Amino acid sequence: MENIKKTLVALCSQMSVSGYEYLAEKAIRELCADIFDEIKTDPMGSYVLIKRCKKENAPKLLIDGHLDTVGMMVTDIKKDGFLSVVNIGGLDTRVLPATEVTVYGKEEIYGLVTSTPPHLRKQGADSVPALKELYIDTGYSKEELEKIVKIGDPVGYRYKLTEMNGGYVTTSGLDDKACVCGIIEAMREIDVNDLKYDIYVTISAQEETGKNGSARASFGIDPDIAIITDVNFASGDGTPDYECIKCKDGCSVDISSLTDKDLTRNIIKLLNKKGIKHQIICEPSRTYTNNEGVLVSGQGTRTAVLSVPLKNMHTPCETVNLEDIKSLAQVICAIACEENL
Amino acid sequence: MKELLKELSLAFGPSGCEDEVRDIIEKYIKVAMPKGAELFSHKSGGLFLHIPNENKPKMMICAHMDEVGFMVTGIKDNGLLHFGCVGGIDPIVLTSKRVISEKGLCGSIIAKPVHLLSPEERDKRPKIENMLIDIGADSKEEASNLTFVGEYFTFDSDYIEYGDGFVKCKALDDRLGCAIMCKAIREIAKGNITSEYDLYFAFTCREEVSFSGAIGATELIKPDYAIVIESKAVADVCGVSERKKVCDLGKGAIVSFADLGTIYDKDFTRYIMDLCDKNEIEYQVHRMVSGGNDSRHIQLGACGCRVGLLSAASRYIHSPSDVVHYDDLDAIYKALTAVIKGGN
Repeated sequence: MENIKKTLVALCSQMSVSGYEYLAEKAIRELCADIFDEIKTDPMGSYVLIKRCKKENAPKLLIDGHLDTVGMMVTDIKKDGFLSVVNIGGLDTRVLPATEVTVYGKEEIYGLVTSTPPHLRKQGADSVPALKELYIDTGYSKEELEKIVKIGDPVGYRYKLTEMNGGYVTTSGLDDKACVCGIIEAMREIDVNDLKYDIYVTISAQEETGKNGSARASFGIDPDIAIITDVNFASGDGTPDYECIKCKDGCSVDISSLTDKDLTRNIIKLLNKKGIKHQIICEPSRTYTNNEGVLVSGQGTRTAVLSVPLKNMHTPCETVNLEDIKSLAQVICAIACEENL
Repeated sequence: MKELLKELSLAFGPSGCEDEVRDIIEKYIKVAMPKGAELFSHKSGGLFLHIPNENKPKMMICAHMDEVGFMVTGIKDNGLLHFGCVGGIDPIVLTSKRVISEKGLCGSIIAKPVHLLSPEERDKRPKIENMLIDIGADSKEEASNLTFVGEYFTFDSDYIEYGDGFVKCKALDDRLGCAIMCKAIREIAKGNITSEYDLYFAFTCREEVSFSGAIGATELIKPDYAIVIESKAVADVCGVSERKKVCDLGKGAIVSFADLGTIYDKDFTRYIMDLCDKNEIEYQVHRMVSGGNDSRHIQLGACGCRVGLLSAASRYIHSPSDVVHYDDLDAIYKALTAVIKGGN
């Protein structure tokens, strides 16, 4: 569990708003150098990490998790040091007022999303303020700010990873760094002699903005099997149980018309046989994961989706249980050591 | 003063639970007591320092120790907590914010994933009664071992200096008043300031809920004059009309002629402005009749009392990200000490 925590902290302290994943290269290389045989980057900002099983003509197993997170981008520098911004990915604007952010200009600067007290805002405004009504307060004058920040610079949430009760941790960007962490830890734990595949891990870019990174990263790999890992809604208050999975019940195998039926069923059979804890969720049509990117890359391939339950998705308070990350790592290990899936 | 302000702001002290703040202030004052001064707590919950000056008019300087916060009102079967607000908090700043309990337990105010919201839910301002705190407990039993109905929570928020002289933390309202008063007391103790008044410093409780601390304090002291040191909610941010901005951060101490609770003593307020002019202390006049504080209850006290207000413009007040400007705190300190020294 200590390794999982360390890796998660390293990943989460790295800013990687969609389109800026390349900034994490040093961190990814430091984290993964001892675990993989080869680490490559691609022009879109994805990382391909290869771990070979050293067997001839071994089939290729691709394991994907995305590095990018939702965020914002500067669109204008206003009077008195306020920035107007636009969303990158599916931002939840309900959480923004009085939220802390970092603006990644020439240097990193602190910012706060503005909020207007009830008695000073427009009468009768009963709706959540739209992003265009909110600004980033930087505390600088316009002149000073223009020396540091340019239009187009990214903005990310600024909340450090905090441990809660019962193995839960909370911060922003756990979608999908929780899964990336699970993949890395699986590859750290696994014994190369047990590997049945050459493993191609894609830590992909730009999932939140259209799943493009994974399509690009997996294109040239042409894997025999692909496992896509992403977070899924944890059941909670007011969320329909059938659309959610439970925290602490292990990672889930997602059943969808867009995943390979036999691969998925074989994985479930394998996990049952080995007594590995997991849960099932059914997503009859789309999975809204990189599955849809990998599926159409190259000649297409057989895919399965694994997901980790996450509370408060796309907010600065995303919350995950470390046990579920460990479970993902165990399931990945089991798959990587099993022939004939 | 910055270090003390940081310590005070990070301290846990929602209304009715000001103990930690009171202890910090008491410890700070005891390091260097002004000559002849008496420090005492009172059953009304306040902490008072009396610096006697016989036959002089009584002056009470007042700031409140409490902050807005939350209280657990129920524990659900799934381990999530119902809560109510202690003091006035705009629900718009609550979704997905971090909170911390009396015992230091970390929690967050949950947000149903935006993907699962109906368009209507997505746009509607949230209501406190529909919000829940998650403390990482998966059952009522587990949660009951970690917290209890009636336990206090506050925002969990770091003290951060940013931009050009701004500072952000929870509870700057009104720990900034407490810090400014502590600094004045220290300077008096050092002999750098001599008071023209029979002087009382009153650190009050429960301003955010009932003003009861100030009511008790006024009855106890029966001052002739009072100055309240406070935070003032302003909206000097992009996209707000000049009038509704109220005041501007970094433009000096705010003096008010009126707010929603009080018409301040005109002569006393003008006297404060004259002192500021004479001593080249930056100040600004409150441009809108808005807000309210302990002043109303001090003015209404048994003996009648001339009340003045010195406040610091504060953005995003009653949120985890209360923001003020250091220059304004300096200006308030200078204006306060100018009054204590007395002009004529």
